[in-house]
Amino acid sequence: MTSAGPDERIWHYDGQDATRHHPRIDWHAEGFSLVWPGGTSGPHRWSDLVPQGNAGGRSVYGLRGQGGWRLVFAGLPPHDFAVHLPLPARYGRWIDRIGLWPAIGLFALIAAILLFVVLRAPAWVAPLIPRSWEDRLGDTMIGDFGGRLCETPESRAALEKLRRELGDAVPIRRIAIANIKMVNAVALPGGHIIIFRDLIEEAKSPDELAGVLAHEIGHVRNRDTMTALVRQLGLSVLLGGFNGQVGGTINGLLALSYGRDAEREADRYSIEALRAADISPLPTAAFFERMEKRSGGESIERAMSWMASHPVSAERKAAFEDSAVKGGHYKPALSAAEWKALVDACAHDKDVAPPPFDF
Amino acid sequence: MEEPDAGAFAFTGDWRDYAPIAFTNLLLTIVTLGVYRFWATTRTRRYLWSRTRFIDEPLEWTGTGMELFIGFLLVLALFGIPLLFLQFGMQTLIFNGQARLAFSLAFLAFAMIFYLSGVARFRMLRYRLSRTWWHGIRGGSDEKGWAYGWSYVWRYVVAAFSLYLLIPWAMMSLWNDRWSAMSFGPFPFRAKAGPGAVFKRFLLFYLLPLALFVLLTIAGIGMREGETALDPAAAAMMGFLFLFIYAGLGVIALVFYAKFFRVAVGGMSLSGLHFHFRARSRDWLMLILGDIALVVLTLGIGAIFLSYRHWKFFITHLDATGEISLSELTQSTTAAPRQGEGLADAFDIGAI
Repeated sequence: MTSAGPDERIWHYDGQDATRHHPRIDWHAEGFSLVWPGGTSGPHRWSDLVPQGNAGGRSVYGLRGQGGWRLVFAGLPPHDFAVHLPLPARYGRWIDRIGLWPAIGLFALIAAILLFVVLRAPAWVAPLIPRSWEDRLGDTMIGDFGGRLCETPESRAALEKLRRELGDAVPIRRIAIANIKMVNAVALPGGHIIIFRDLIEEAKSPDELAGVLAHEIGHVRNRDTMTALVRQLGLSVLLGGFNGQVGGTINGLLALSYGRDAEREADRYSIEALRAADISPLPTAAFFERMEKRSGGESIERAMSWMASHPVSAERKAAFEDSAVKGGHYKPALSAAEWKALVDACAHDKDVAPPPFDF
Repeated sequence: MEEPDAGAFAFTGDWRDYAPIAFTNLLLTIVTLGVYRFWATTRTRRYLWSRTRFIDEPLEWTGTGMELFIGFLLVLALFGIPLLFLQFGMQTLIFNGQARLAFSLAFLAFAMIFYLSGVARFRMLRYRLSRTWWHGIRGGSDEKGWAYGWSYVWRYVVAAFSLYLLIPWAMMSLWNDRWSAMSFGPFPFRAKAGPGAVFKRFLLFYLLPLALFVLLTIAGIGMREGETALDPAAAAMMGFLFLFIYAGLGVIALVFYAKFFRVAVGGMSLSGLHFHFRARSRDWLMLILGDIALVVLTLGIGAIFLSYRHWKFFITHLDATGEISLSELTQSTTAAPRQGEGLADAFDIGAI
């Protein structure tokens, strides 16, 4: 049995009221107890002592299961007493166990693996998602596009012809023109391809439209939209630990639309489809060229336009140009009448909703 | 017990002591993709509280990173998923031409978030008091904050309908409501400050932009009539003016808030203790300018010291007079919340 105190350098609060006691501490191998005029505490087991840290050169201990119980030493506790004490937590229990730098290394490794998986995995997770799910999701997302889809019997026939020519083997469920004033086309989940009205007005010929449409069909075939969705979901979960702003920023940077590989694949499909359908790829290349030149204008329009979601690189243009066969026997993608049906679809469709906002 | 010429509160920390905590927090938060944030907050508070002396004994923080983390996960489960659905659902609904339904849902969501951010403020304070110990005694509240959330909503709605003129009243009465529901040991906090004292400064904040706007409009009309296009010099002038207004508004807001804080804290007492807050507008301005300089000059890294600076500022200017009987200061009987301030965290409220 060893003792220390009572003195000014050891004090105790019993958690019942705020009075400060200066106890004598008696201890042996099994445990310890406190005695002061008018009260005692203990005997307690060593293992019940909880280090509360060392603030300003004092050592503070609590007792497991007793909220306000405190034993405080000015400076360090007596040596024979201290040998029985657990160390205070510093970074957190797990990190203290393996050390700060090993922990940082380990966490960094895990974070890198997780990020890699979340960025890469969607490409092989997406194909595993049943088509029926994707279709249901796509239909819920799009519905009837708020009644903004332009359709006449003639335009439907023309689009159907393009679908047959360019993507007969791809599970496309709908190609439609939307009465929205943007130069763009998007592939949405569930095999929907939406062509925005101004793209048709911007295109000089059906061949240009065919190239762009084949590119979107390529996205549908490769299930890129699903991949992008899964990736975005994974990132939001992974970065949920950061507070809102940081996570959102990183997420936005990493989830940029489809990624360049997907774009290149879609281009490759487009080139192949055009070749198989005997449609010249040169107009599509010319369309890219014009889009690139046009990339001025209002910033909102720019953000919603073709350029924002399909940045045109010289390399992409060249790929289309190089695939042209000199003296090849190309035929127009659509007849003049069919093309006119597409151009006029929104004007001739009587019950289409007006464009939501004019840029 | 009182040492001569020392205030009741003193901050004894040193930023050089705190730096290792701040830097390891930053490092661990990055490599854990943000998850360590909660343990980082806990370590920071543990340090700050332990370096905050009240009369003869430092405060003690007993919150844990795990309970903050659990609070965060709970809020995520309760609100994150519905909110996420609402975000994507909104798009879908608008796509489908269901704009009216979409906007009524959005309004509902907004109202819910507004209510919950009120609740969050209350619960944050309750949690912090329940984890703050002094002389082996802690604080807390018997209320859970659900009622406070409603008074938060209706007071701000009334303030909005009064063209925002009643904002000082809303702020002050909410502060008083919140603190009056809190206690330390057996003693309830009392908060009785009236909004009248801060109203003049609020009017300054309220009327100045209006006056400037009127002036600018007159100037603009004058220019229109002169049929002169804006020359570069005038444009630069305008830009400078806007910057001035922007910074000026910030300063006036600060001037108002400095007064608000002095009055609000000055109206508070606990048993025989009366609280005072001594920071003037100039002190607040120096704090904010110091913050900006610190963050800009260190390319953002200095942000890890902001919570330290703010706490130090708060404690340095806080004082208490009067007496508190240690033998009557018995243990709090309030139920301690089981998890941390997840709600406040979700709405980005108050960061110490």
